[in-house]
Formats: sequence, structure tokens, C-alpha cells
Amino acid sequence: MTAANRYDAIVIGGGHNGLVNAAYLARAGKRVVVLEKRHVLGGAAVTEEIFAGFKYSVCSYVVSLLRPEIIRDLDLPRHGLEILPLESTFTPLPDNDYLVRWADHDQTRRELYRHSPRDADAYDDFGKLMYQLAVAVRPILSMIPPDPTSMSPKDLIGFAKLAGHFRGLGEEQFHALFKLMTMSSADYLDEWFETEALKATMSASGIIGTFLGPRSPGTAYVLLHHYMGEIDGAMRAWGFARGGTGEVSESIARAARSFGAEIRMEAGVEQVIVKNGTAVGVALENGDELRAPVVVSALDPKRTFLQLVEDKDLPDDFVSAIKRFKIRGSSGKVNLALGELPNFTSLPGEGPHLRGAMSISPSVDYLERAYDDAKYGAFSKRPYMDIILPSMIDPGMAPPGKHVMSIFVQYAPSDLEGGWDETKREAFGDAVIDTLAQHAPNLPGAILHRQVLTPWDIDRDMGLTDGNIFHGELTLHQLFSMRPVAGWADFTTPVRNYFQCGSGTHPGGGITGASGRLAALKILGEQP
Amino acid sequence: MTVNRYDAIVIGAGHNGLVTAAYLGRAGRKVLVLERREVVGGAAVTEQVFPGFKFDTAAHRIGGLHPSVIKDLALERHGLELRRADPSVFAPAKDGPPLVVWRDPQRTVESLRAISPADAKAWIPFSELIGKAATVVQSAWSSTPPSMTGNDPRDLWAVLKLGAGLRRLGKKDMIEVVRILSMSMSELLGEWFESDVVKGTLAASGVAGMMQGPMAAGTVYNFLHHHVGAADGALRPTVRVRGGVGELTKALAAAAAEAGAEIRTNQPVARVTVKAGRAIGVVLSSGEEFVSNRIVSNADPRSTFFDLVGPAELEPELVRKVKNIRFKGVSAKVHLALGELPRFDGVPEGGPHLNGVISIGPSLEYLERAYDDAKYGAPSRHPYLEVSIPSVSDPDLAGPGKHVMSVVVQYVPYRLAEGEWGAAARERLGDAVLSTLSEYAPGIESAVLHRQVLTPLDLEETFGLPEGNSYHGEHTLDQLIFMRPVPGQARYRTSIDGLYLCGAGTHPGGGVTGYPGYNAAREIVGDGKG
Repeated sequence: MTAANRYDAIVIGGGHNGLVNAAYLARAGKRVVVLEKRHVLGGAAVTEEIFAGFKYSVCSYVVSLLRPEIIRDLDLPRHGLEILPLESTFTPLPDNDYLVRWADHDQTRRELYRHSPRDADAYDDFGKLMYQLAVAVRPILSMIPPDPTSMSPKDLIGFAKLAGHFRGLGEEQFHALFKLMTMSSADYLDEWFETEALKATMSASGIIGTFLGPRSPGTAYVLLHHYMGEIDGAMRAWGFARGGTGEVSESIARAARSFGAEIRMEAGVEQVIVKNGTAVGVALENGDELRAPVVVSALDPKRTFLQLVEDKDLPDDFVSAIKRFKIRGSSGKVNLALGELPNFTSLPGEGPHLRGAMSISPSVDYLERAYDDAKYGAFSKRPYMDIILPSMIDPGMAPPGKHVMSIFVQYAPSDLEGGWDETKREAFGDAVIDTLAQHAPNLPGAILHRQVLTPWDIDRDMGLTDGNIFHGELTLHQLFSMRPVAGWADFTTPVRNYFQCGSGTHPGGGITGASGRLAALKILGEQP
Repeated sequence: MTVNRYDAIVIGAGHNGLVTAAYLGRAGRKVLVLERREVVGGAAVTEQVFPGFKFDTAAHRIGGLHPSVIKDLALERHGLELRRADPSVFAPAKDGPPLVVWRDPQRTVESLRAISPADAKAWIPFSELIGKAATVVQSAWSSTPPSMTGNDPRDLWAVLKLGAGLRRLGKKDMIEVVRILSMSMSELLGEWFESDVVKGTLAASGVAGMMQGPMAAGTVYNFLHHHVGAADGALRPTVRVRGGVGELTKALAAAAAEAGAEIRTNQPVARVTVKAGRAIGVVLSSGEEFVSNRIVSNADPRSTFFDLVGPAELEPELVRKVKNIRFKGVSAKVHLALGELPRFDGVPEGGPHLNGVISIGPSLEYLERAYDDAKYGAPSRHPYLEVSIPSVSDPDLAGPGKHVMSVVVQYVPYRLAEGEWGAAARERLGDAVLSTLSEYAPGIESAVLHRQVLTPLDLEETFGLPEGNSYHGEHTLDQLIFMRPVPGQARYRTSIDGLYLCGAGTHPGGGVTGYPGYNAAREIVGDGKG
């Protein structure tokens, strides 16, 4: 064992959380190495030139709620991070109508007024309430969850403080928050609005990454995310990263390196080395061994606990709990290189609507039917899509005059009836293009190249178990103190010196960096 | 003029209203109960729909009846005889042996071995978990919901008590109960069982009365709701009343009368009289007036606030909240007078298998697809059916050799995407139910002497169940406890001084349990005569 392979901390996985974790540890003076299996960094936050000249944000395509404190602490703008705002969401409708929501509240109000004056007024009130609730909830994103299984004063105080925080909200906000946490997005929005396309587009955000439909209880709280992004607006935490989401990861990597962290690519980890219940290092796939008194996994809980360590090194009930942890993948991705812009029948030509998000979500029933397909093991014949044209926002993503289109699709269930293979992948891709062609007939003819990713591909290529983009479903019983397992939601694991820092921990999901940072603070013994 | 003056007026003689009336009477109050129909009982009634055939026309079995209610009101002395059916459930499978849930869990385990040895092994441990979780739920039922944001020490105490109930379970069980509370039945059952018929049969109890499928979060809570008071940790117990469910409400009426309450039927209340924000009496449809400082409504919250009080007397915020109460009627009833006992496939000749309910819902997928149909506004093509033939163990309900069959049909939406609930739709529903039944009990159609179909609209009009929802408000997590019927008014009192709610639309919700009525009475007595 050479000194070169001894570190203060080893981080397994160069996804954005792993990189954030390494950066914070390095910033605190630790000698850190990040071990990434692939040839490119970022995990699911990665930009790749799959087709010459065209840069695809292969998996994740927007930055959501990247923590302002991380942007600040790691000085990410200096390392190249530039987040460009997504100024609108365009929903094409049948009968050549459309609905657009703009970042500018007044513009949205005017557009809504055209569909329903009542909704235009309600939108203002809704926004105000959501903003207040987002402010109330935001501190939770930066908390290390207290342990419900421990009776230690620290944890009890943690819960008491949390309870106090919520009770201090006042009746109206407390009840609104309770409703948000328990209701379906469809039911919640029914109380406020009547325009079907508005309700559908808003509730669509509640189903992303879940195995739920807009009428499923538990989908309403994601409505808050959009407004939390608004609060973070000063730090531009919500939008599209120049250079694609890979640039988010790269900027974090640069920051980490600037603090002295080492990052190795094509260095897949085979196993964590455990001696007497303590992690002492890792063994790489190529046989090399590295040693460190701290080993951190940025991988999802299934890989972290069921692949990297042996069952005998974990308590039986912990293994059962991890096996039970729900991580079904439900989404796919289609990335296109286009020779021309899509021309939407509902709003023809090149316009500002092409610089924002395009949502195929004409009605709640449309989304619900897409979900029904998945419930019974099929991909949606008429899927929900969240689309952006990165090249409209950042011309560097494609050659002049040409474009890249990033299409996030639901649903594509990981447990597809009969299993996924190449043929089914292509059939899925065809369903996506066919559906989109209903709204923009010129699309099929404009495709120069197409990349289709199903949960099967995302699992095999990106290392996300079952292709679940959040490292585990964000249902109530898998959140906060229960994420991934009650008693182990504080970034530690039953193996001494082995930590977890990926999205399978609180707060879970999205390109936030929160898990990576909180885990680092835990390791360093600091308060968040 | 003091002629029509009472200490309390209870609007509606449903089982909860009768419980409240009885306890108020026992507390020395002069109580008047005004019932719209010609019979007392609300949705817990037994009616001779056809000569010689007595049907439980709405609820056809009871839930976890409040033990204090049975004891304090001496219901047994007043004629109540509860009966636990054995087996409690007979559930045909799509392929393979049926699931039979016996009163003796060991017997169930034995019979499960033919379906799935793994499920046989899991049955008792699962029932133990449910028993513990249901006990935690029950501990919340007897309390008035605390205000979650106020500073009243009694509220903090109530919250702590709830926590204590949980902590008594021990660390491991406590975490497990909290973990499962918000789950879907599909997820929970997926962790425990493998066979379709076991999962479908148990899940059905979780979706009962809800416009959700078994994949919806919150269905485990509803499942636990239906298991509160289940003796010996039984799963899907079937508890009936000898003579029909109406005998329970008759016994409650007798107890209330014995406590001095006056019960008048055929007395529909048109309005609650409100003066300067206080309830001071009621006016009947006939115009007759009664005066009291304590008006207690057993009607659902929406009818109470909008019809009896009227939006003009309510703050706009309350109007909005009441408008947002979701009812989502999901079931219908079919009553069949039968000339002979139907033969269900898989039931041995002369076997007791039809003593309990027959549950037609052979898999999770069956239930989820049935829900899908209704989700888009059409009655299920293959509905979930809970069938009860009480005459098997209670022959007085029908003539010799004859039988009465009561079917709860789910998922039948109140709001149809096409058409309305008129005569044609009613008949089509009845035909569809008979057709489904024939798949499991061939030849049943020829045994039918008479048939009555109650659509969600019929249920609403007959029993005052809004949108046909049995619970006076959906049992979703956001409409329970301190949110029921609306956030801020979840403690039996309303913002109208002197006006109370005591029905299923209050905590802890629906089912024939008597808890809402019991809790409401406690609060009303505590508030004094006013």
C-alpha cells in the first residue's frame, strides 16, 4: 500500500452530491479522493456529446434548488457555474390553443386571464400562500433529521424544535402545509383553479420521479419546489446550467480540486473493505486498494448497502429495511439532435416559448391515463413530457442553426412487463416522438440523431438502481427521518466510518447538493 | 314562551346523534331529537324493503363500537346482541382455492397453506402488527383533536398522550407503525404477502369507502380505521347485529329515551335559527319552532353549514373550507330477496362459509382497475363487491328457506362522465352486479325474487349521505383528526356559538362506531347549558 493510496476520506461516486461532499471535506483540510466509475463526472448530472457537435444533458436537464450556501461556500460561479433562467412553461393544447406560464407573474396573470379570469386572481393568492409555505419549509432542507428511534436529548430537542417551528407557523399556514403534504396535486389544485391545462401542468411537477399520478395522495407538496426556487432566485438556483447540467458537476469538481481533492475517473469501486465492523478503505474493480478512515458512498442506498458491503457486516433488520426501500424507476429520457426548431401547431414559429420548458400535459386525465399504463407494467402510450431546447438558452450546446432537445418522459416503469430490451427501448422512443409529433408535426423530419434512455439504461449506464432519478421514491414514509431507514437518516451507516451522502438521504432528489453538504458537516462534526 | 324549549336539540337520529342524545340525557339535559325519516337510525337501519324480507339498507355491519357506549347505555339490556361471524370473510380467487378468514387465526393459517405457504406464515405476524397499529389509532379516537398550533396546555397534553400511546409499543414497533401509517395498501401488502387473493381481500378493506385504489397512500390508514376494536387482532372481522343493524339504533333510541330524551320522527328540520352569531333554535319544514342554546347536528357538515345554517351566516373563509370538503361517493347498494341460498363456487355443501361477508376482489389489480373506471366517471365494469347474507345465521330476516342478500358495490361514482343516475342507469347497475355475482355464484339470477338498487344519488337522497359517501367526508389523511370536518373547527363546536356537530363528519370519522357522538357529548356537557 503506497502512501499515494492512503487518504483521509474516500468518496465513492462522482455524482454532484459526491463532488459536493468531497469539496467540503477538502475545504476543511482533508485529503480526499473521489472515485468515479465512468469516464465522465456528474452521475446523472452530466453533459455528453453523444452525437458530434451536439451536447446532451443526458439525464437531468434542469438545476433545481441548488443550495445557495453551496454556491457561495464553494464559490461555484468562479469555477464556471452559470445558471440561466427558464423563463416560461408552454403547454400546447388540442384545438390549437395553448397555455403559457411566465417567470414574470404579471405576464402569467394576463395569459391566465384569457383562459379564466377567476384563475388569474386565484393564481396571485396561490403564489402568495406557496411563497410563505416555501419559506417555512426551506429550513428543513438544511437540517440533519433527528432520530425518532433514539431517546437522546439531542434528538428529542431536534423534534421539539421542529414541532415548535411548525406550530409557530400559525393555524392557516400549518393547515395549508398539512394539506400539501397529504393531498394529491389534482385535489389540491381543484380547490384553487378551474383551467384544466393549468392544473395539469402544475400537478405534473408533483409526479416527476414518482410512481404516482396527479390524483395520488402525496403529490401536492412538490408544488412548493417551484416557489422555493423563487426564494433562492437571488442566487439563481433554479434554471438551466450553461454547458448543460454536466457543467454544474464540473464546477463543483473544479472547486473540489481547488481545495486539493483528487478525482479519479474510470475507477469503479468493487467493495468497501470492512474490518471488525469498521470501514477502512475500498477495493477497486481493477484490484487496487485504497485506505482511509472515512469512506463515503454517494451511490443510492441499494448499491451502497447491498452491493458495496456484505450482508454479514450489516444488521439483519437493516438489510431487510434497505431491501424494502422503494426505488422504482418511472421515467425515461429522449435526447434529440435537431436540424430545425420544432414548430408547434398551437403557437407556430420561433418565439420566447421555445426558450423555456414545454410541457405535454393538456389535462389531469391525460397525466392520469399515462400513469395508468405504468401501473400495469407498460410505458405510457401518450406520455407526459417536460421538454427544453438547451440550445435556445445556450447556443453552445449545438452547431449554429441546429438544436438539441431534451425530453423528460413519464412513465417508463422499471418493472416493464417482460422486461426492457433494445426493441422495447426503441418502441418507447417511437411513442415519445409520435406523441410529440401530434403537437409539432415537423419534429420527426427534423431529427438528426436520437438517444433514448429507459430506467434499464439509466441503471446500467448511470448507476442509478432501477433508474429511479431520486435514489429512492419521495413518499412520506421514505422522507426526512425515515430516509433511507429510520435510525440511519443522519448520513451515518451501521458500519463505523462508512457514510452515505447521495440523494437516498435527506432531503433527497434533484440537483441540490444538500445531501452531499449535510453529510460532510456530519463527518466533520459541524452544525449545518 | 317556553313551551318548545330544550337544553339541547339533536338534528338527526343516526347512531351518533342517538349516542349524543343519550349521554346528554344522562347528564341531566332535556333533549329533543328530530329525525327527518319515519325511522330512527340514519344509515344504520333495517327495513322491510319487500314483505317478509328485512334488509340493512345502508350499513350492513358495524365497526369497532365504542365499549363505553355499550356499557354506559346498557345496550344489551335494551336488546342489542352483537354477533361475530365465523368465518368473517369468504373470498373467491381467480385461480386456486378461496381465502377463508376464520375467527380462529390458526384455522386461517391452515387453509392458507393451500394458497401459499409463505402467506400462511406471514398471516399471524401481520395481524399482530395491524393489531398494534389499530390500537394506536384507537387511542386517538377517544380524544377531541388537539389544536396543533395553539398554546393551550390541554392540547399539548393530548398530543403527548398520543405520543405515549406510540412509545408504549417499544422502539421497533413504534417505528414500524409510524412507517406504515402513510403507506398504500399495495406497498404494505407487497412487503408481507405474495398471493393475489390475500392481497386483494385485505386491500379491499383499505379502500372501502374511498375513491382511491390500493396503490394510493392513505389506504393503510383507512384499513387501520376499519380494524379499530377488532377483537384478538382479527383481520377483516364481520360484526353484525341480531335482527339487523337497525336493532342497534333501536337500542340506542331506547337508551336515550330512558335517559329522558324525546325522539320525534317524520320531523325534518329546515333551518337552524341563528341570531347575532349564536344558534338559538331550529325551524321544521312544517314551520314549527323549537328553542335551545345547544343545537347538535348529526347531519353531514356541508348540509349543516350550507342548508341548515346558510352561507349568509358564515364567514367567507368557512364557506370556502366547507365547499372544499371532498365526499366522493364511491359505492352503491344492491338488495336481493332470494328464493334459495346461492351456491358460490368453492363453498362445500352445507359449509358455514357464507356466514360472514363474501368479498369479490380477487387481486390488487382487480381493485385498481375497478377504481380506474370510476376515476374517469363510470361505474366499474368489474366492481368490488362486499356481499352479506345475514339470513344464513339470522333466519328471521327472511321467510323459511329464503334469504336476504345485501351487496355493497364499489366503485360507483356519484359524478358520472356521461348521463345521470336515473332509472335506466340504476337498472344497468343492478344488471352489472348480478352479472358479476353470477361469475362466482352461477345460477344466482334465477334465485332472485326481488331486487332493489340504491345508486349513490339514492343513498344521498334516502340517508342524507352527501354524494353517497358513507363517511360524511372522505377518509383521506387531510380530512381526518384536526382537519375534520375543516381545519380550525375540528372539535365538535362550530364558529356559530351553540351549534355542534356530532356525526361521521367529525373525528374520528365514519363507520358504525359511536365515537363521534360520544366525543361530541363530552364536549357539549363540558360547555355547560349556555
